[in-house]
Amino acid sequence: MTDLHWMTASAAAQAIAAKELSPVELMTALLSRIERLDPKLNAFLHLDATAAMDAARSAEAEAMAGRLRGPLHGVPVGIKDIMDVAGLPTTCHSKILQDNVATADAVCVSKLRGAGAIVLGKLSTHEFAIGGPSFDLPWPPARNPWNTNHHPGGSSSGSGAGVAAGLFAMALGSDTGGSVRNPASCCGIVGIKPTYGLVSRRGVFPLAFTLDHVGPMTRTVADNALMLEVLAGHDPGDPGSAATAHRRYAEGLKGDIRGLRVGFIRHFHEVDMPADPEVTAALEHVARTLQLEGAEIRDIRLPTLVEFGAVNRVILQSEAWAIHAPWLRERPGDYGQLARRRILAGAFFSAEDYVQAQRRRLELIAAVDAALGEVDVLLCASSMDPACRIDSPADVERTYSRQARTPFNVTGHPALAMMAGVSTSGLPLSVQFVGRNFAEATLFQVARAWECAAGTDKKHPPIV
Amino acid sequence: MDKAILEALARRAGLDKALAQFPEDVAAAAAQAEAVAGRIKAPADPRAEPWPSMRVGNRP
Repeated sequence: MTDLHWMTASAAAQAIAAKELSPVELMTALLSRIERLDPKLNAFLHLDATAAMDAARSAEAEAMAGRLRGPLHGVPVGIKDIMDVAGLPTTCHSKILQDNVATADAVCVSKLRGAGAIVLGKLSTHEFAIGGPSFDLPWPPARNPWNTNHHPGGSSSGSGAGVAAGLFAMALGSDTGGSVRNPASCCGIVGIKPTYGLVSRRGVFPLAFTLDHVGPMTRTVADNALMLEVLAGHDPGDPGSAATAHRRYAEGLKGDIRGLRVGFIRHFHEVDMPADPEVTAALEHVARTLQLEGAEIRDIRLPTLVEFGAVNRVILQSEAWAIHAPWLRERPGDYGQLARRRILAGAFFSAEDYVQAQRRRLELIAAVDAALGEVDVLLCASSMDPACRIDSPADVERTYSRQARTPFNVTGHPALAMMAGVSTSGLPLSVQFVGRNFAEATLFQVARAWECAAGTDKKHPPIV
Repeated sequence: MDKAILEALARRAGLDKALAQFPEDVAAAAAQAEAVAGRIKAPADPRAEPWPSMRVGNRP
């Protein structure tokens, strides 16, 4: 049998349902690995080991009695610490909320529990999902399991690091300017930012209302599809929630892309923000591979990354300032420097800046919709560089905005990032696929085709 | 940004404490905002609406 810590969520759930694997055995293996590796990775802010083991025992008894709660019965999951888990702290990795304890589960957490998943604990994030990696907070930042001197990406840092290191097979992240897809890119896993409104945000601490998305992070495409299947659905308590028919993403996931039209946005990484040559080569390799699998590759042009980035920043920082203004006025010293600087910028935008950004946003949405009228899926860079060193503020600053993720927070289209290869320095390289609104199933097909051809799901970091 | 304007904007936003304790962070934030806002291409058509458009009633 595969090492239990590398077992996928889907395989674990199937083995538990077939009474071939005990949830207690799985939990014991993961807790032991967490105890050994997390002091190097800092993925957890709060590990709830006792409750997790109690839940595993209950899951085992239920499974033996043939009572399965759902498709994730007995499978452990990690939760980003901006999402509420009843009875546990939601600190947002900040001194500001150090003593905040949630009284109810966020809807996304509640859905995972309803499907049988077991909450392991709360995971490291950039402060309030914006300020990081920071060393001036009550907890240290998470580190990259491929090389612990490097940044795991963020803001869903603990989610990315923990999934990649085999501390758990699945985690929740949130994505306002790329915070699911950045750690997925840096850590070589699969992360999707679903269509805006597909997954409820209720019970998740907001960063920017009109840009926030909740998304699953996993080591395989099939696990990601399964997790999204559980998470998706209308929530009348979330004003941004979309009413869509329930879709099955995991079923029939064969990666057959014959005849699919894939639009390659080369100017993002060739002109707008020239990428590291290894990233460029990896993206070309992905495109050639998809062509060999039967897809038709076309060149597509969109507005520049600088434009998308500016619209994202004005909206994000304005909305974040509106949320944080009372605390930043009274307790500016309780924020880390990065979050303080990034959120304070919102105080200096005018009403005109915000409205002009929202007006331009509508045009950018139309441009992406038009492109997706010509092709089925877009292919582009996610990060322009492999993960930088975590102890170099200059490198963090330089690479922070060198990415092509913010366009799809601005437009709301679904976007998935995953491994495209490994650099000569031993760090993951990444690719991003973008789809039509609510066409996550197509994204999963393309991602699965690439995963099967390249074997990205078999590549794990050297950490043992 | 001119220092006097920066301070006036910061005080208007209620950031007296931040200005006293972290003047460099306030200045960096203001500079960042100025640079980013300058990159927005406002629509030329005066009828171009912002996203999302106002809608009434309960919407699924």
